[in-house]
Amino acid sequence: MDVISNLTMDERRRALLILLVMALVGLTFAAAGHGDPIAVHGALVLVLSLALAFPVMGHLYDPEPSIERFNAYYDDPSKVGVILTFVWAAFAMFVGDWVAWLMVEPTWTTGSAWSSFGRLRPVHTTGVIFGFGGNGLIATSFYVMQRTCRVRLPDQLSPWFVLIGYNLFCILAVTGYLLGITQSKEYAEPEWYADLWLVIVWVTYFVLYMRTLARREEPHIYVANWYYMAFILVVAMLHIVNNLAVPVSFLSAKSHSLFSGVQDALTEWWYGHNAVAFFLTAGFLGMMYYYLPIRAGRPIFSYRLSIISFWGITFMYMWVGSHHLHHTALPQWVQTLGMTFSLVLLVPSWGSAANALLTLNGAWHKVRDDATLRFMMIAAVFYGLTTFEGSFMAIRSVNALSHYTDWTVGHVHAGALGWVAMITFGALYASIPWLWKRERMYSPALVEVHFWLALSGTAVYVFALWNAGIIQGLMWRTYTENGNLAYTFLDSVVAMRPYYIARALGGLLYLLGALAGCLNLYLTIRFAAPATEAASRKPLRDGLDDAATQPAE
Amino acid sequence: MDLSHETLVWVAKTFGLIYLVILSIAVVAYACWPARQKEFRDASTAILNREDRPWR
Amino acid sequence: MFTLHYRLERRAIGMTLGIIAAASIGGFVEIAPLFTIDQTVEAAPDMRVYTPLELAGRNIYMREGCYACHSQMIRTLRDEVERYGPYSLAVESKYDHPMLWGSKRTGPDIARLGGKYSDEWHVRHLLDPRDVVPVSIMPSYGWLMENDLRIDDLRDQLATQRAVGVPYTPDMIRHAADDAYAQANPDGSGVKDLTARYGEATTVRAFDGTPGRLTEMDSLVAYLQILGRLTDAASRDTLAKDLE
Repeated sequence: MDVISNLTMDERRRALLILLVMALVGLTFAAAGHGDPIAVHGALVLVLSLALAFPVMGHLYDPEPSIERFNAYYDDPSKVGVILTFVWAAFAMFVGDWVAWLMVEPTWTTGSAWSSFGRLRPVHTTGVIFGFGGNGLIATSFYVMQRTCRVRLPDQLSPWFVLIGYNLFCILAVTGYLLGITQSKEYAEPEWYADLWLVIVWVTYFVLYMRTLARREEPHIYVANWYYMAFILVVAMLHIVNNLAVPVSFLSAKSHSLFSGVQDALTEWWYGHNAVAFFLTAGFLGMMYYYLPIRAGRPIFSYRLSIISFWGITFMYMWVGSHHLHHTALPQWVQTLGMTFSLVLLVPSWGSAANALLTLNGAWHKVRDDATLRFMMIAAVFYGLTTFEGSFMAIRSVNALSHYTDWTVGHVHAGALGWVAMITFGALYASIPWLWKRERMYSPALVEVHFWLALSGTAVYVFALWNAGIIQGLMWRTYTENGNLAYTFLDSVVAMRPYYIARALGGLLYLLGALAGCLNLYLTIRFAAPATEAASRKPLRDGLDDAATQPAE
Repeated sequence: MDLSHETLVWVAKTFGLIYLVILSIAVVAYACWPARQKEFRDASTAILNREDRPWR
Repeated sequence: MFTLHYRLERRAIGMTLGIIAAASIGGFVEIAPLFTIDQTVEAAPDMRVYTPLELAGRNIYMREGCYACHSQMIRTLRDEVERYGPYSLAVESKYDHPMLWGSKRTGPDIARLGGKYSDEWHVRHLLDPRDVVPVSIMPSYGWLMENDLRIDDLRDQLATQRAVGVPYTPDMIRHAADDAYAQANPDGSGVKDLTARYGEATTVRAFDGTPGRLTEMDSLVAYLQILGRLTDAASRDTLAKDLE
C-alpha cells in the first residue's frame, strides 16, 4: 500500500509501536473487564489496532520514500479524511432519518435494546457533529494549514494519529451508546476512557498545528488558521472541564460526573453552547474563510472585519450558554447575563455572514453556474439566519415559549443542515479535484442534484419544526375562559404528527443528497479525468481581474 | 472557598462589561491600525495564488 | 515530538494565549459563583439520598436516553406549575451526578412523577406505552423485564457517588447490593436494615410485580416513583410564597 510506503521507515516503526501498545491496552480491558460493557470496547480496540498493525508490518521494510516528497504537500490524510467525512455523513444522516420516523411510528425498530430511540438518537448527534463535522474539519484543516503556510506538514505520522485516533473516539462513542454506555450529558455522551483518549488525540492535533505554523513561509498567519486554532483550543478546554468525572472503577465503563445539579447544568450548557460556537461555528468559519474566496476567485471582502468578528465570537460565545436555562433553578442574574451576551453576539455573527456574502459581489455569475460555490453562499445565508434566530430565542420571554419544544430542534437543524453541512459539502467539492488531481468532479450535474436536494430538504425540515415548535409551545400555555389549561400534553403529541412526517421527509431528501455526494466522490476517484499540469497551476485570480475591468453586478 | 458569593456575583456582573469594552477597543485598534493594512491586503490575496507546492 | 529546533513562534504562541484569555473569562465568571451558591440557596436538611435500587434505576434511565425526551425541570411559569406541580428548586438535584434536567419535551416533564401512577401502570407503560396510552409515541422497553439487574457493582457505584460528594455512609456502601435486593422484596429479611439506613419512608415493593426476581424493571420503576420525592422543599417553598 502506497500510503504506508510513503511513511519513512522510522515513522512506520513508531506507528507499529503505537498500534501494538493500543492492542495491548485493548486486550487488557477485554480480558479484565469481564462482565462489564467495557470489555466489548477493549476487544474492539484490539481488533482495530491489529487490523492496522498487520499492513504496517507487511510494509515495515519497504524502501525509504523518495526525497521528492518534500516538493509537495502531504495530502494522504486529507484524502482519507474526506472519504471518512462522506461515510459518516451517510451513516449519521441515515440514523437521523430513522429516529425521525420513529417519532412518527414508534414501532419501526427491531425491538432490541440497541435500536430504541434513546440509544439511536445520540448515535445520530455524535455521528453528525463529531463523525461528519469533525472529520470534515480535520481533513480541511490539514489542507488549509499547509497551503496558507506554504509548508509541508512537519511529519507524516502525527496527522495519521490525529485522524485515525479521532475516528476511534467516534467509533467508541457510537458503539458505546448502542451498548448502553453513556454519560447522558448531551453532546458529551462518551464515557471517561473515550474522553481521555480524545484528550491525547487533541493535544497531538494542537501540537501539529503549532509546529506547522512555526515552520511557515508566509509571514502573516492567514485568518482561517485563527478560526481553526480557536476550534482546537477551546474545544479542548470545554471537553476537559465538562467531562470531569470519577469512574466507578478502572475496569468499569461507568463514571459519575464530578458536578451535580445546578453547577452541572451550567457546566453542561456552557459546554453545549460552545460546542456549537467553537466546533460548529469557529471551525467551519475557518473553512469558509479559505474555500469561499478561492472558489469565488476573489479575496475576502474585508480582512479587518474577519479579525474583529473572530475576537467577538471567541470572547462572547463563552457567556451565552446560560440561555439554555431560562426560568429554571439557575440564579436569574446568570440567565440575564447569558441573554445579554446572546444579543450582542449577533454583531460579530452577522459580521462574518455579511463578509462572506459581500465577497461574492462581482462573482454572482459564478454562484449561478457553480453549485459548489452556491453551497457556500447558501451556507453563509443560513449562518446569518440561524445566528439571528439564536439570539432571538435567547430572549427570556421568547425562550419561555420555545424551550423544550421542537422549535429548538428546528433551530439546531437550520444551523446544522443549512450552515455546517452546506459549507462542508462546498469545501469538499472544491478540494476533492485538487486532492486527487482531477480536472473536476466526475459529475457536476450530480453536485447540482445534491445542492437542490440539500436546500429543499433543509427548507422542508426547518419549516416543519418551526410550525411544530410554536404550536407545541402555544398549546402548552393556552388557557380556557375558566382559567384552566386548554390542552392535555397528549393533545400536543397528537398535533405534532403531520409535522413529524414532514420533518422525516425533509431529512430523507437531505440524506439522498448526501448519498449522491458519496456516489460522486467514488466516481471522481475512480473515473474522473486527471487534471492537466497547466490547469492545476493556474492561479485563481481571474475573478479579481473581472472585478477590476467591469463594474460589479 | 474563601470568596463570598456576593463578591463573585459582583465581579461577574461588572467585570464582564468592562472587559468587553476594553477588548473591543483593543481589537478594533489592532484591525484598523494603518500600518497593518498592507499586511492584511497581502494576506487576503496571497491565498488565491494556487502554486500548489511548498515554498522550499 | 515537539523537538527544540522548531522555532517557538511568537505570533502563534501569542494568538494561542489570546484565544485562551478571551475564551476562558466568560465561563469562569458565570460558573465560579455557582460553587458558593450554598450560601444563598434554600436548604433541605431532610433530603435523602437515592437508595441503591433507585440509583441503579437512574443509571438505566440514562442508559436508555430517556432524558432526550423527558425533562426534569419545571420552570417558574404559571402553566408549568399548574401542569406539572411546584417549580423545581436547585436543591432538589443536588445529589444528581449528573443532572438530568433535559432540554426537550417530546414527552411530558417528569420531575414530579413519583407517586402519580401505580407500579403496575408503569410496568405496563414501559412494556408497551400504547397499551395504556393509545396515542403515545414512546418506545417500548421490553428487555427491562427480561434483564436481571446488575448488582455486583453497586457497592462501587455508591462509593463513587460518595467520592463526588453524595453523603452515603460506609454502612450504606457495604450493603448496597443487599439493600437493592431488599427494596424489591417486601417479605424478605433485609427490609428492616434497608429502612434503618434510608428512612421509614423508603418505598419497599415488588415494583415489577414479581417479588422473587430483581429485574431492571424493578429498578427503573423504583427510580420513577421517587422522582420529586427526595425532599418536600419545593412544596414548602411554594406554600411560603403563596402566604406572602
